[in-house]
Amino acid sequence: MSEGPRLLLSTLMVLGAQSPEKALPVDELAVKLGMGVPELLSELDRLTKAGYAVTAKKEGRVRVYLTGTGVITASSAYS
Amino acid sequence: MAYGLRDGVLVFTERCTTMRVFILCWEYPPRIIGGLARHVEGLSRGLASLGHEVHVITLDFPGAPYEEHEGSLYVHRVPVSVPAPTFHSWVLLFNHFFEKRVGQLAHEFGTPDVLHIHDWLTVLAGVSAKQLLRSPLVMTFHSTEASRSSNSPSAESAMVQGLEWWGSFEATRVIAVSGWMRTEVVSIFRLPSEKVLEIPNAVDPQRFEGITDIQATRSRWGAKNEDRLITAVGRLTAQKGFDDLIRAYPMIKRSVPDSRLLLVGDGYMRSDLEHLAEQLNVRNSTTFSGFISDGELVAALRSSDVVVVPSRFEPFGIIALEAMAAGAPLVVSRVGGLAEIVEDSVDGIEVEPNDPSAIAAATVRILSDRELRVRLAANGGEKAKTYSWEHVAKRTVEVYQDAVKGTKYE
Repeated sequence: MSEGPRLLLSTLMVLGAQSPEKALPVDELAVKLGMGVPELLSELDRLTKAGYAVTAKKEGRVRVYLTGTGVITASSAYS
Repeated sequence: MAYGLRDGVLVFTERCTTMRVFILCWEYPPRIIGGLARHVEGLSRGLASLGHEVHVITLDFPGAPYEEHEGSLYVHRVPVSVPAPTFHSWVLLFNHFFEKRVGQLAHEFGTPDVLHIHDWLTVLAGVSAKQLLRSPLVMTFHSTEASRSSNSPSAESAMVQGLEWWGSFEATRVIAVSGWMRTEVVSIFRLPSEKVLEIPNAVDPQRFEGITDIQATRSRWGAKNEDRLITAVGRLTAQKGFDDLIRAYPMIKRSVPDSRLLLVGDGYMRSDLEHLAEQLNVRNSTTFSGFISDGELVAALRSSDVVVVPSRFEPFGIIALEAMAAGAPLVVSRVGGLAEIVEDSVDGIEVEPNDPSAIAAATVRILSDRELRVRLAANGGEKAKTYSWEHVAKRTVEVYQDAVKGTKYE
């Protein structure tokens, strides 16, 4: 995994996005990461296909949170 | 710490036959990042089975309950309610929430006789709790930043090493999970050697009892009946050396064409490893399972013709014990704790780390020699029986009792 997805996983974990209730709006996340929304959605697509994250639309905004596998993968870089 | 409060009553803690222990760790099943979670689970269950009151304070995890209670074992999963900008600042934050939970639990259940922290990640909460509750602190090293990061000069690494030193200094007793780890900890942190004790990891033999449908398991991971199944398990990180195993696999296939490589686990290197397997034209005969359940892991190990542990650095290497308990012959790197667990050519074959050719030669040797496979597996099974969690728990209680007495190291 290159630095981009690794940083994205780690960022989602330290921001607490670990459940549907704590899902983060993708547009806000893009600002935090200094990325464009289309670029971020492309990265998130890879993470969701790998089973690390889930995206869902709520109140008109796409939101994202980590799965258990995503949390462990994010943590694996530091253990 | 001769006296302490237990249920509101002042007691002479040295004579308590059972203890109240608070264990602080960042991973506990189902949050399993590495061997630390397995160790804390085995230790906690072992302590509880000896009648001690054990409270595990750990991080929350998707789908896991915040509170669990089984006999005298309590698991408290703590959510981190404040977002952090980076991993290292997040660690500082979750330690604050651990401190808060420790305070609540001390109020609810009584002051712990011992606080036990695991690795640098819970040092801050452990040291604070020690000072506030006046309970002795024990620290277990499962790894060190110096080895993990290959002595990285980064600021983050300096902070982690500082916390490791701080924890080892504040702890009344320090535990290392292997002789190699003990030597490293004594050397790096300049600790009195008698302060640091070696207590290894262990394996629960009950996990490996029962019947496995070997044909179905092998089929699930893409191995045909005649295929030899080569398995490796662990985090897909640089430390684990799975890239060396993938580089070895084309050489193995030249001698054993009917073979399949199964890599169990996940991690930040997964896509790099998949790409490497493609480059070497072995992607079609390599399965990346991702994380699998404990039952599936046991079945995979029992169905394997050989288990390879190609780590570049391994303080203990609990997967080697698990493979032995499952009756799988082993190829391991001659590093750290692995070299202490495995006796070369008796219950496994050791190879030098970072050497795909050596991994290939040892794996082919095992796959080509049925008698050797049977002998290594039988000896490994006997070796695994000598590593029990009950023994680990009893040894750890001795360390706790020693810490409770108080020493000149405080």
